[in-house]
Amino acid sequence: MDHDQSVQYLEGLLGRTLRIHTTDTRMFVGLFKCTDADRNIILANSFEYRMPTTSAVQAAAHEKESWSEAKSATVKVNMTHRLIGLIVIPGRHITKIELE
Amino acid sequence: MLPNNEVRVPRPRFVAQSAPRDITAEFTKAASKLNAGQLVKDETFTLFEAVGALEIMDSKMDSGYIAPGENLAQALEDDYDVRRPLTPEEVVGLMDQLLCHEVAWHKGHPLSQTLFTSIYLDKLLWPVPRTMDDARFDRVPSDSPLVNLVLRAYCLALVKACDFVHIRVATEYYYEEEDFVSQLYNRNLLSAFDVSQFHRLLDQAVAWVAEQTDIDQKLKDAIRCRLVFRHEFLSALHQDVEVLETRSVENFASCIAQLQPLTETVALGKPVPDAFSLKIQRKLASTVPPRPMVKITSGDALAHLKRLCQDAIDMQQMLDYTGPSNFKTAVWTLLSRKPQPSIYIRCLLQALIVSNMTILGAVPVKEFLHDELAELVLPANILLQANTDEVEVPSDPRFQIAQKMDGFMKRFAQPFVDTVRCACLNRCRMRRTLCHTLVDWDNLQMEAEDIDLELRTLSAEPPLQFQGGEPTWSFPLSSWAYHQKLVQFRLILQMGFELSIYSPEELPGMYWYLSHICSTHLGHIDRIRTFTVAARKRDLMSTGDRAGTSSQKASAFHRSFHALERLTTHIIAVDAFAIALHALYVVLARHNVLPSASSSQAYSTDRLRYEIRMKPFIPITLPELVPYEEYQREAALEGDSDAAILERASKAIAEARKAWEATLANGAFIDDPSAPTQPPPSAIEEDWKRDVKNTMRSCIGTSLAVEAVKKALSTASTEDKPLNLEVIVPEVGSKSRWHDWWVVPQVSEKKAKE
Repeated sequence: MDHDQSVQYLEGLLGRTLRIHTTDTRMFVGLFKCTDADRNIILANSFEYRMPTTSAVQAAAHEKESWSEAKSATVKVNMTHRLIGLIVIPGRHITKIELE
Repeated sequence: MLPNNEVRVPRPRFVAQSAPRDITAEFTKAASKLNAGQLVKDETFTLFEAVGALEIMDSKMDSGYIAPGENLAQALEDDYDVRRPLTPEEVVGLMDQLLCHEVAWHKGHPLSQTLFTSIYLDKLLWPVPRTMDDARFDRVPSDSPLVNLVLRAYCLALVKACDFVHIRVATEYYYEEEDFVSQLYNRNLLSAFDVSQFHRLLDQAVAWVAEQTDIDQKLKDAIRCRLVFRHEFLSALHQDVEVLETRSVENFASCIAQLQPLTETVALGKPVPDAFSLKIQRKLASTVPPRPMVKITSGDALAHLKRLCQDAIDMQQMLDYTGPSNFKTAVWTLLSRKPQPSIYIRCLLQALIVSNMTILGAVPVKEFLHDELAELVLPANILLQANTDEVEVPSDPRFQIAQKMDGFMKRFAQPFVDTVRCACLNRCRMRRTLCHTLVDWDNLQMEAEDIDLELRTLSAEPPLQFQGGEPTWSFPLSSWAYHQKLVQFRLILQMGFELSIYSPEELPGMYWYLSHICSTHLGHIDRIRTFTVAARKRDLMSTGDRAGTSSQKASAFHRSFHALERLTTHIIAVDAFAIALHALYVVLARHNVLPSASSSQAYSTDRLRYEIRMKPFIPITLPELVPYEEYQREAALEGDSDAAILERASKAIAEARKAWEATLANGAFIDDPSAPTQPPPSAIEEDWKRDVKNTMRSCIGTSLAVEAVKKALSTASTEDKPLNLEVIVPEVGSKSRWHDWWVVPQVSEKKAKE
C-alpha cells in the first residue's frame, strides 16, 4: 500500500464502528473520527467495556448455582460498560483494532 | 463539544452482531504510511471538537484509568462492607454526610462528586432496582436493622427527594453546570416508585427506633429528627406546584422545625469517611474527566436547607394575584434575596409564575397584560373594553378594535411575562438576558406603533394640540412598550453595580447615565399622564348622566393616576440619588482621589470603556445613544466649579432622601381599596422595606461623604494643597456597602504618615 492507498483505506473506515483494545484490557467501542501517523485514534459516542471483576463473577456463579441444580463449568457474565463519549486513544496503548 | 446531556447515542449493539474483523495489521500499516502531522479525519469533525476528547490512559482525563500495579478488583470495588453493623453514632454521621452531599448537589455540583460517591447509594441504585425490595444495599440484607431499615429508609427517601428536585429543575429554564448539573450518569433516582412507599419505610424506621431500649435517648432523638425531616422534606417536594391548590406551608414549616434539633445533634454523629469513594466515578457513564469529591460543612448545608424552606414558605405570599404591579414587585423582591433563592425554588417559581399561559394557575397571561395596560396607559378605554362577543358586526369599528387588540395581546403577552420570569435566572444571566431582550422590545415598540396608528383611526381618538405644535396622539401601546424598555435600561445599569461590572473610574459616568435614563423615563411618564388627563376630561364631559358606569370609570382612572404617581416618585428617588452620586464622583475624580482599576499604561481609554458599556444600547433606536463627546461633556460636568457641583450633590441627595421616604410610605404593594381588612405585612413586604431602608442609609452615607469632601476642599483651597482625602469604594457584600445598587464611597481624611 502506498501513501494514497493508505489514506483511502483509512478514509473508508471513517464513521464506522471500531472496537479498540488497550493495554489495560479495556475495550472501547465508538465511531471512528480521526487518526494520524502515530495511530492515535479518536472515537465519538464511545462506550468503555471492562472485564467483570472476580466478585461479580463469583456472584453470578452463586446466582447460577441457586437457580439450576446441574452445575456447569461455565458462567456467562456480561462485560460492564458505560458511556464515556468523545475519546482519544494514544497509539502506544492500542493492542488490537477490530471493525464491526 | 456537546454537553453531557446531549450525547444522543443508540444503545450499544454489542450483543447481536456479526463477528468483528481484526484489522490491527492493516490499520497499523496504513497509519504508518501517513506523513508526520497528517490527519485522516471525518469532514465534519473539527480540531476544536478534538480538543474536548478525553485521553484514554491519562490519569487526569480518563476516569476509568487504573494505574499499573493497582489490583483491578480493588480499583473498581471498595473493600467497604455495606452489611457491617453500624453504631447509632455512625448512622447519624452518615446521614449528615449524605445531607451535605445532597445540598452540595442542590448548589450546583454534579452527583458524581457528591451523592454518587456514597457506596451505600451506589449499591441501592446499581443494578437498577425493579422493585422497592430490590433497592437494598446487598443481596443478603445486613443483620442490623440500623442498617437495613433505618439507614436504608433514609437513603431511599433522600434519593426520591433528589428525584423530585431533578424533575422540577430539568423541566424549567436553568443553566447547565452553572446553576445545576442534571446529569444522572445512567442511574435512575427511583422515579418509578410512588412516594407513599418511601413514607411507609420511614414510618417503620421511626417506629423501630422508638422501640429500642439499648440506644441512648439523645441518639434516638437525633436519628428520629433526621428521619422525620426526610419524611417532611419528601412531602414538601412532592407537593411542588400543587401548592397553588393546597396553599399549604405545613411540610416546609415542619422541615424548619426539625432542622433545629438536627443542627444541635450534628456533634453526636461520627462520620464514616470510608463509606464514600471516588472509585465509583470509574463506573459512572460520564463524558468528563475524574473530579474530586466536593465537601461542604454541615453548617453550610443546614443553612442552605433552612433558606430553601423559608423561601418556599414565603413564596405563599405571592400566590394571590392582586394586579400586575403587586405581582411584579413580589416576584422581584423574593428573587432578589441575598443569597439568591436556590435553583429548586427559582425553578418552582418559574412554573408558578406562568405555565400553560396562565399566571399563578389562575390568571390567563392575556388578562395579565390587559390589567397592566389598564393600570398604566388605558384606564377605562374603549381599546380594552371592546370585544367581539358584544359586537358581532365586522364593519363596526369596535369589532375591528377588538380584533386588533386581540392580535396585540397574542403577540405581546409572552414577551411581557418573560420580563417578569426573567428574575428567576441567576443574577448574571438575568442581566445578560435583559441586554438581549432589550433589542426585542425595541422591535416590539415599533410593531406597537403600527398597531397604535391603525387603532387611532378606528377609535377616532382626538389629538392633543400643544402650544404652537403639531397635533399629537397618545400612542398608548407603543408608549407602554417604551416604558417597559426604559425599565429594562435602568435594571441593566443597576444590576451592573450589583454585579461589580464597573470599575471605580467608570462610576461618575455610569451614575450620570442612570440619571439620564431616569429623566428620560420621567418625561415619558409625564407624556402618558397628560394623555390620561385629557382622556379623563373628555370622559367627564361626555358622560354626565350614567352614574353606574361613571363611578366605575372614575375608579379606573384613579387607579391609573395612582400607579403613575407611585412610579414617578420611585423614579425621582432613583434619579436624584444618581445625580448626587454622579456629582460627588466627578469631584473625587477631578482631584485624582478616586481609586482606579486600570494602570496608567493600560490600553483602555474612557472612550473604549464607554463603547463597551453602551454595547447593549447601540442597536436601540429609542432612547437614542448619547454620542461619546456629549457624554464626556455631561458626565464630567465641564465648566462647573467644584463648589457648584458639590452644592448640586447636596441638593440632590436631600431630594433623594425625601423621595425615598415617600416611596417607603407608598409601600411595596398597591392596597386593594375594596378589601375589608388589609392583610398583615408579609415577609416579602418586609424584604422590600429593608431594601428601601438600605437605600436610605446609602443616602445618608452619601450626604456624609459630600460634607467630608466640602470640608477637605475648603482646607485645601486655603492651604493650596491637593485634597487630603482617602477614598474607598466598598465592595458588594461588604459591611459599608449598604445597598448593592448604590456605590457610596467612603471618604475620610488621610492620616498623616509618621
